[in-house]
Amino acid sequence: MGTDSARASATDPDWDVLTRVAAGEGDAFVRLMEHHQDRLLRLCERMLGDVEEARDATQEVFLKVYQKAGDARPQGQVYTWLYRIAVNHCLNKLRRRKLVRFLRWESPAEDSDATPFDPPDAAPDPAAALDSRLRWQSTRRAIAALPDNQRAVLVLARFEGLSYKQIAEVLEISEGAVESRLFRAMRRIEGAQESDASRVSRKEDRR
Amino acid sequence: MSRTTEIELMRLLHGELPAEQAGALRARMAREPELAAAMARLERSWSGLELPPAAPAPPAFAQRVLAQARRQPGLSWSAAPRWARATAAAALAAGLALGVGAGKLVSSRSLPDTENVLAVSAAGGGPSLAETWWDSLDDLESTSTAATDADGAQL
Repeated sequence: MGTDSARASATDPDWDVLTRVAAGEGDAFVRLMEHHQDRLLRLCERMLGDVEEARDATQEVFLKVYQKAGDARPQGQVYTWLYRIAVNHCLNKLRRRKLVRFLRWESPAEDSDATPFDPPDAAPDPAAALDSRLRWQSTRRAIAALPDNQRAVLVLARFEGLSYKQIAEVLEISEGAVESRLFRAMRRIEGAQESDASRVSRKEDRR
Repeated sequence: MSRTTEIELMRLLHGELPAEQAGALRARMAREPELAAAMARLERSWSGLELPPAAPAPPAFAQRVLAQARRQPGLSWSAAPRWARATAAAALAAGLALGVGAGKLVSSRSLPDTENVLAVSAAGGGPSLAETWWDSLDDLESTSTAATDADGAQL
């Protein structure tokens, strides 16, 4: 580590915390988790589309962090490193899910049609609350239909607010690849939103 | 509209376009209604992507994970290097294949001896565990033979 470590610690004090985690300090591990748990939980939830699975995934990610703390190379921000572990873990889970579905002869659409539990909406207007719920459902469906690598880029850009450079760091790809995947993801999203809109208008016509 | 222009629009939307290029693109949008419409469509799609606020971590989440981390053994499967896991998986698969093959070979050679085993046990008192096992195997075989016969009779 040496000079690298000193330079990285200056930019992100969590590298010091991670060094203490590697030395087996439980307090440091708890501190690291409490600092990052909500953002990792949110990321896993966006990636997997399921709250319970996201909790399990976040826990597994932190267990990996505990094991790999000594291998981390201090570079940039700690959360980038954490995001990388979390995204890879979620992508593995998605692949495993696909394999299980394939072995059970289930269609990929079965999962995306399920309505997950949504938290109560703060909007006082019931119509607005219903509208929000429909948008959430439509977004979930659109994200679930994306290929895994496009899904990761979209989630990091739209819901984590990461720049192209940060996404490239997390996924260890070029900025050009980020741009290209995001572009293709948005093409699909637009298509999904259009078909959703036409489905809603067909339903309204029938009434 | 070219893919390059569409990507430029996306970069503009995400604030990733350098100021000079952003200015030039905005000027083009003012002149070209088609470009402005594409930008509006992209903005609509982007802002239409909405999800509810994520659930917070459950209480004492960090403490529970710490407890679990301390329980887990030092060397775990997931912590092992990829090559070690691949080698172990290949060895496991080969062992399994070998085991299944050997099992089939042994069972096919052992079956004719069933009568001898039963004859020995009949001479020497109560049934042993091996006899019970062979009995059940015989039952199974006779059932499948009966089924074949039945099928044959139907044909």
